[in-house]
Amino acid sequence: MKNIMKLAALTTALSPVAALAQDDQISIAYLASSSQNGFNQSIYDGIQRAAAEYDNVSVEIFDGEFSAPVQFTQVEDLVAGGRFDGMVVTPNDTVGIATALEEATAAGVKVAATLFPIGPDLSNMQPQVEGLVTTVASDPAIGATKQAEEVVEFCEDRDPCKVVILIGQLVFPFDNVRYEAYQSVLGAHDNIEIVATGEGNYSPDTSLNAMQDILQANPDLDVLLSNADQHLMGAEIAILDAGLDLEEIYVTGGGLNQIATDAIRAGQWDSTIAMLPRSIGEAALHALVASVTGEEVEPWIDESTLGDVPAIVTHEWLLENPEFEAEWQG
Amino acid sequence: MTDTYLTDKPDPKITRASVGQFAQQYGVLIIIVALLIGLSFASDSFFTARNLLNILNQSAPLAIIACALTLVIIGGGFDLSTGAIFGVASVSAGYIAINVDPYLAILAGPVIGLGLGAINGLIITGFGVHSFLVTLATSLVYRGVAILITGGALIPVRIAEFSWLGRERIGMVNVAVIVLVLFMLLMMFLLNRTTFGRKVFAVGGNEEAALLSGIRTNLIKIMTFCLSGGAAGLAGVIAVSRISMAEPQAGMGLELEAIAAVILGGTSIMGGSGAVWRSVSGVLLIALIGNGFNILNVNPFFKDLTTGVIIVVAVALAASASRSR
Repeated sequence: MKNIMKLAALTTALSPVAALAQDDQISIAYLASSSQNGFNQSIYDGIQRAAAEYDNVSVEIFDGEFSAPVQFTQVEDLVAGGRFDGMVVTPNDTVGIATALEEATAAGVKVAATLFPIGPDLSNMQPQVEGLVTTVASDPAIGATKQAEEVVEFCEDRDPCKVVILIGQLVFPFDNVRYEAYQSVLGAHDNIEIVATGEGNYSPDTSLNAMQDILQANPDLDVLLSNADQHLMGAEIAILDAGLDLEEIYVTGGGLNQIATDAIRAGQWDSTIAMLPRSIGEAALHALVASVTGEEVEPWIDESTLGDVPAIVTHEWLLENPEFEAEWQG
Repeated sequence: MTDTYLTDKPDPKITRASVGQFAQQYGVLIIIVALLIGLSFASDSFFTARNLLNILNQSAPLAIIACALTLVIIGGGFDLSTGAIFGVASVSAGYIAINVDPYLAILAGPVIGLGLGAINGLIITGFGVHSFLVTLATSLVYRGVAILITGGALIPVRIAEFSWLGRERIGMVNVAVIVLVLFMLLMMFLLNRTTFGRKVFAVGGNEEAALLSGIRTNLIKIMTFCLSGGAAGLAGVIAVSRISMAEPQAGMGLELEAIAAVILGGTSIMGGSGAVWRSVSGVLLIALIGNGFNILNVNPFFKDLTTGVIIVVAVALAASASRSR
């Protein structure tokens, strides 16, 4: 209910009760970047929970298979089929899918983007596709910058402070934005040296291999900086296998899944960027229903305002909040 | 003088042919040695026992799959489902380790893989459909099963009785590397020292002739797919125990890496010829490139490009050598 209250402040005159009063059935499609992924599953969970608050809202999930062409085709098919009043999209290609979504909005389908804005500018949260209802996301550079600032603080008394970066994939525009933010913040400090950058591809196994290789040449790292908790799961094993003391290394990831929450709470890792996929799903669904029923909706719902968690979740914060549970398993 | 002349100046045709044969036989090894030398000069961290064992350990799951896949390809088949079987075995082992017994989980992975491989073989031989199409279809089914088991989520398996397979060492050598060596020797023995192996070559070389000479070709094919499935299952269990985490998307794309390694090693994609050691060499070549990139901290953008160029060079070397023979 807390999230709903927050959303009510974000969306003008949003009222599930108003929707309850009307008889028309509202069908919403969730176009997941991949339905086989824990993060997307949690967004869908939020969508389903929000839909359950209405009597007339049904939702269906579509698997984007982590493929931009697949998702593009899905949008075209759903628009042609005419079954849905709205779409929540977690894009695989933030730029390429814009054309298909323009067709959707032109056909009267309400569209909400989640996780990333749709369009060429990843830092612009305002609609870049004509007719887009709302974007539930935050600028990936903001979280990455805050993360890097935490690293700077940790490195204050170390010279040199050796940093290893594990990024998802540099061919992804959003990972490039994060990587540039890391470089920008860390590069401004002479004592900080980025000794290696590896690609984790959001896989613990790939990250384990990359970290094992990196440790061959850099066995004395001070910081492991990553944009994804999945990377830390693999890298942690490589660090321990190399005989290093994990507690001596500043380890920070992104995503705030339950595995990361447990590791940070136990003091094994230091921090992670907070992400709240279930809340994202809830917010997107409520916004779409409001739009379908003729309400005005804020064009940008800042993901970081959806929960009561700080942008960077730390060991200290988790100790102060022992009841906290992540919104997704991992 | 004449005798001396003849002895000192060999026939150039013979020289070209022998060089060509040597290049075809050992092209992948030549490139591996060149990479080893180059990377050793480029980084002090490369040519160390620790790093070389690290490369072997990382390559163990892929190499195990490639070893068994070699038999499938020599037998004239193609297996595109190894990645998906790897995924099913991974999540099944993870689930069983947590909910039943960790040792049973280690056993279950290869057994499940073997069963799924048998299904492939039975469909291929039973319906007479090409293995490429069948395994493409079953890979989708198996991947779906993996997702259904986990619901798309990761399964943490932090159990010492399970993770030893992927993480423990005997001396300096990882258990996974020992498993790889044993498995490779087993596949080499099966292929080169048994009647089963000779039949695999016969079926891949000329299936009709093999059939006419009394070989039960369908049975041989089913057996090769069983081995391939079992290997993918074993590889899946090793991978899960290494990272203490089962993920439904594990092994995505692994089937193509395994096929690339087998072909890169020099096993004929048309069937009928090849060797297990060649496929392991192909795996190691790909692993060396990745390791070198990480150690030298080269921009990842160049990794695919370099890998592709080296594969083209290796394949071209083998092809040109083949023509010159």
